[in-house]
Amino acid sequence: MPAKLGHKLLRRLQLRESWIIFFIMGIIMMNFPFLQIFNKPDTIFGLPLMFLYLVVGWAVSIFVIYLFTLGVGNSDEKRRETRQP
Amino acid sequence: MNTGLAQAAVISLVYTLLIFLVAWFAHHRKKIGRSIAGNPYIYTLCIAVYCTSWTFYGSVGKAATTGIDFLMVYLGPSLAAFSWFFLLRRIIRISKEHNITSIADFISLRYGKSIWLGALITLIAIFGIMPYIALQIKAVSTSFYLISGLQDKTIHIPHGSSDLPLPTGLLLALTLSIFSVIFGARRLISSERHEGLMAAVAFESLVKLVSMFGVGIFVTYYLFDGFADIFTRFGNAHPADFARIFTLSSSTGEGATIPSLTTLFMSTAAIMLLPRQFHVMVIENSDERHVNTAMWLFPTYMFLINLFVMPIALGGILITGSRAGADFFVINLPLITGHNGIAMLAFLGGLSAAAGMVMVESVAISTMLLNHIFMPFIVHLTPQSWFPYLLINLKRLGIFLVIFLGYFYYRNVGESYMLVNMGMNSFAASCQFMPAMVGALYWRRGNRYGAITGTLLGFIIWFYTLLLPSFSKSGWLGSSTLEQGPFGIGLLKPTALFGLSGMDIWSHSLFWSMLFNISAYIICSIILPQNEKERDQVRKFIGVFEFERRQTQHAATKRLSKPVTITQFVTLMTKFIGESDAERAISGYLGGRQQHAEVNVSEFELPNLKRFTEKTLAGSVGAAAAGAIVDSFLSDMGSRMESVYDIFSTVRTSLDQSREALFVRLKASEIINRTLDLQIIMDDLLNLLLKEFQLDVAIIQLSDDNNMLSVKSYQGSNRHPINKHHWFMESSPYFQMVQFDRNVHFVNDTRLATGTIPLDRTIAEGIVSFAHIPILREGQPSLGIVSVFSKTIPGLFTEEFISLLTSLAGQLAQAVTIVREIDARDKERIQKEQALLENARVTRDMEIAQQIQISLLPDKAPELMGIEMAGRCMPAAHVGGDYYDFFLRDDHTIDLLIADVSGHSVGAALIMAEVRTLLRPQINTAHSASAILQSLNSQLYDDLTRAELFITMFYCKYSSATGRLSYANAGHNHPLISRRGEKRCIELDAEGLILGVRPSVMFEELQCELYKGDVLLFYTDGLNEAVNQEGELFGTERICTHLATVSHLPARAIIDSFYKTVTDFSGTDILQDDISLVVLKIL
Repeated sequence: MPAKLGHKLLRRLQLRESWIIFFIMGIIMMNFPFLQIFNKPDTIFGLPLMFLYLVVGWAVSIFVIYLFTLGVGNSDEKRRETRQP
Repeated sequence: MNTGLAQAAVISLVYTLLIFLVAWFAHHRKKIGRSIAGNPYIYTLCIAVYCTSWTFYGSVGKAATTGIDFLMVYLGPSLAAFSWFFLLRRIIRISKEHNITSIADFISLRYGKSIWLGALITLIAIFGIMPYIALQIKAVSTSFYLISGLQDKTIHIPHGSSDLPLPTGLLLALTLSIFSVIFGARRLISSERHEGLMAAVAFESLVKLVSMFGVGIFVTYYLFDGFADIFTRFGNAHPADFARIFTLSSSTGEGATIPSLTTLFMSTAAIMLLPRQFHVMVIENSDERHVNTAMWLFPTYMFLINLFVMPIALGGILITGSRAGADFFVINLPLITGHNGIAMLAFLGGLSAAAGMVMVESVAISTMLLNHIFMPFIVHLTPQSWFPYLLINLKRLGIFLVIFLGYFYYRNVGESYMLVNMGMNSFAASCQFMPAMVGALYWRRGNRYGAITGTLLGFIIWFYTLLLPSFSKSGWLGSSTLEQGPFGIGLLKPTALFGLSGMDIWSHSLFWSMLFNISAYIICSIILPQNEKERDQVRKFIGVFEFERRQTQHAATKRLSKPVTITQFVTLMTKFIGESDAERAISGYLGGRQQHAEVNVSEFELPNLKRFTEKTLAGSVGAAAAGAIVDSFLSDMGSRMESVYDIFSTVRTSLDQSREALFVRLKASEIINRTLDLQIIMDDLLNLLLKEFQLDVAIIQLSDDNNMLSVKSYQGSNRHPINKHHWFMESSPYFQMVQFDRNVHFVNDTRLATGTIPLDRTIAEGIVSFAHIPILREGQPSLGIVSVFSKTIPGLFTEEFISLLTSLAGQLAQAVTIVREIDARDKERIQKEQALLENARVTRDMEIAQQIQISLLPDKAPELMGIEMAGRCMPAAHVGGDYYDFFLRDDHTIDLLIADVSGHSVGAALIMAEVRTLLRPQINTAHSASAILQSLNSQLYDDLTRAELFITMFYCKYSSATGRLSYANAGHNHPLISRRGEKRCIELDAEGLILGVRPSVMFEELQCELYKGDVLLFYTDGLNEAVNQEGELFGTERICTHLATVSHLPARAIIDSFYKTVTDFSGTDILQDDISLVVLKIL
């Protein structure tokens, strides 16, 4: 069941639009209003808030791109398979 | 001190050698066809050339001074990675398609191969990159002093009595230049991948990651106790700094987040637009799919390399107690704590970061320099054989130039700037490409004027607001300009243009340059029109996915006005890229096609060949220059690209059939089917062509049985009679070619036609283009030629039009064949009738001859007392050569003869008549039979010899008074006597030669007594040689037997019974030979 769900999710991610949406979302997250939320000299577990936000946010975005490329890889392979016969 | 220097120098040297080996190894592997660089991981590591010593040293410095916003430089590219899926892949696809060599090439190609735009972008790149390369040189030389423990900026090498000062920066610049030349400019073709260089860069990227990671772990976990420990201790020790560093510039007050946004924007743009990034991501890409991996792996790389930046920066402040020299914490922290090994690792990482960037950047920019600054001038020179050497050395020179410009900037400006701030200048410069670049890919209306104006304005503002202040800061320019503006005009103050103050200089510069750049681009693009070249490119760039199929169709709408051979194109390419590359390129183009290089290429193939030549050259000298080279080459040849006159309007109903073409086909088949009169068909067809296609003269020639062409139909304006002085006859060499190779031959512009076939009178007649089309059906010989001439439109004969004309000629061929077949059938019928008539006439003649001949034979035998005679001839053919006769000498003597002239022709009959004529006088003489034969022989000899005929003859005299028969024989069948009481027949034989063999022959004369009841049978060889169905001869035996059985019958009945027996025997009524029988019965 989770595998199926994941597969479905990947297929949704293949949409060209979703790339653009995530791109724009990234720009928004990196901009003033969002940054302002974390723009405080507080710490969580001894780590500064802003540092944590950027580093974790960055890691998450990389993971999202990774998921994307999995979807792309899937569809590429599928296309190649169907083309073979 | 000296040991530190020696150690550092040796390790640098060894490391350089190692990189050299890696590069050489990769290059070698590629040469043997087992590339190691063609995988997504190497590709990603190459993109990581983005992380230079700016990242390695500068980030720490930036983190220590302004804080967390250093990360923006890496978050930007991470964001940009989202767009690679649609943006980068599209750029790569377009670049591969057109052999793009650099970003300047890419942008100038989109805007109609504009030379000016290419040059402008190159210029911006050179100026823009200057601070960036200076940054690298500064970082490496500073780190070199640190690691070697030198305080001075130069290395003093003992040289005789005095020291030779040797600046490390210069040394580094020199080394990097040489390295770049070796791996980046070995060959001229820049659109190819440089595997050696890329392997070196990838290796360096790995080294710098490992090195940074190593130092980070060392600081974070060895000197301190993890992230939280550093942060907490720093927060406790410097609470004010902690707040400043971990918030976005809250210390400088209002609008403080602007710098971080600026950085984000600039770095997002820079990852795509920096010449070296474009180079590694686009030009060096070997497979589009590698982008998929790079999209997440490259951000991961940046994430890892930046993970420890903050701890190192904070740890550095904690350990050294100040932010001074934070740029080199990475190398200083290990040194201070006495870990020289770690420091050396850091040094190598920094060296790698700098070297990789400088090499790729210099190669990328030198390519641009060659293609967009040098080439436009070189294009105007006549190509020479040494051009390839000139070009490759210019490229090498470019590498030196780029690196030493950076060195120059470092020497003059570098000291006063922090590393990161120097780099920001370059980023701001590369942002000037953005409007033109994005517009190139997504805005159809974006045009050349907009791109040039926008980029130029942006560049000027960048130069004025960023580069100029950096010079003046370091004392180059009077500080008064910076403080009060030029000539004291405050509004033009470089750092507060038009009174905009309160911003940092980068945001300020970026804002103004982008404002002017983008607005100029948009305004000019909207106001001014695109030219045709640009529209062509727009289709390729923006419609690269959607319109690929249509593009190939559109490709054929231009033609070269004068044909150029393949060899000429190869020679041209050789002059720029060298012989071996040119040969390889053209053989790749021709591929499997067996096309002889000397032969003129088909006119429709030429535009493709031209495009290919341009593309090949573009791989070395850039698209703009390549276009210019090929165009000037063509104009030297007297040829040019010109629009094809589209005879068919644009409405296309089916695949490639226009409505007009269909209409004409329909009309033509109507004309052909309406009548069987070929003349009407031809006239109507030509008039149809003249009317529909604006032709002026049309002629049909058909070949006759001897393959001679003759004009059958001639339509068009002011006709004069066709004779050998008619202008039309000048085309006869074409007729021969058409008849010979059965192909269409056409000239699309008579004024430019090659001089081998003079067309003076044709040109004087005003003909500008013509075509000769063979009239033939598939796989059959040509029946003639349709010639069409136009006085108005050069370039009329497109592939499409020719194929229509060919198909019409095919229809005509069908009609001609049908008409000719009908004609041939008529002719045959008439011939047959005539033959029949002739035959009938001959038959009639023969019948007459036969009647005459029969009339020559005695119609009945004379009557003589005591004997009964009868004779008859049954001729086989109409006229025979048999003859018998009776001559009654007196009341009781009779002469009887039977003869056979060889052959059954009229000739034989004539000889027979002659024999008869000659014999008549003889009856009045008293000559004996032998004497008669003798004289007959001598008289006939000449005639017989001449006619090649012979006569056999039996001559006898019978006297009823004496009952004696005297006879002589000239080779005739022996007559038979059937005598009562004797079983066997008596043969009458006498010596004698056939008549006509010798001029003089003696004949034996014999006598015998005949008795009552004897029956004599004289016959010709037709009787005894009659053959039955088994091939058996009738034979003398049968004759004799039969004669005996019928001897009691009257003579006439005997003859009848013989004929009946013979026809019964042979089984047919038709005789093979004449049969003449004479019966003499003694009563």
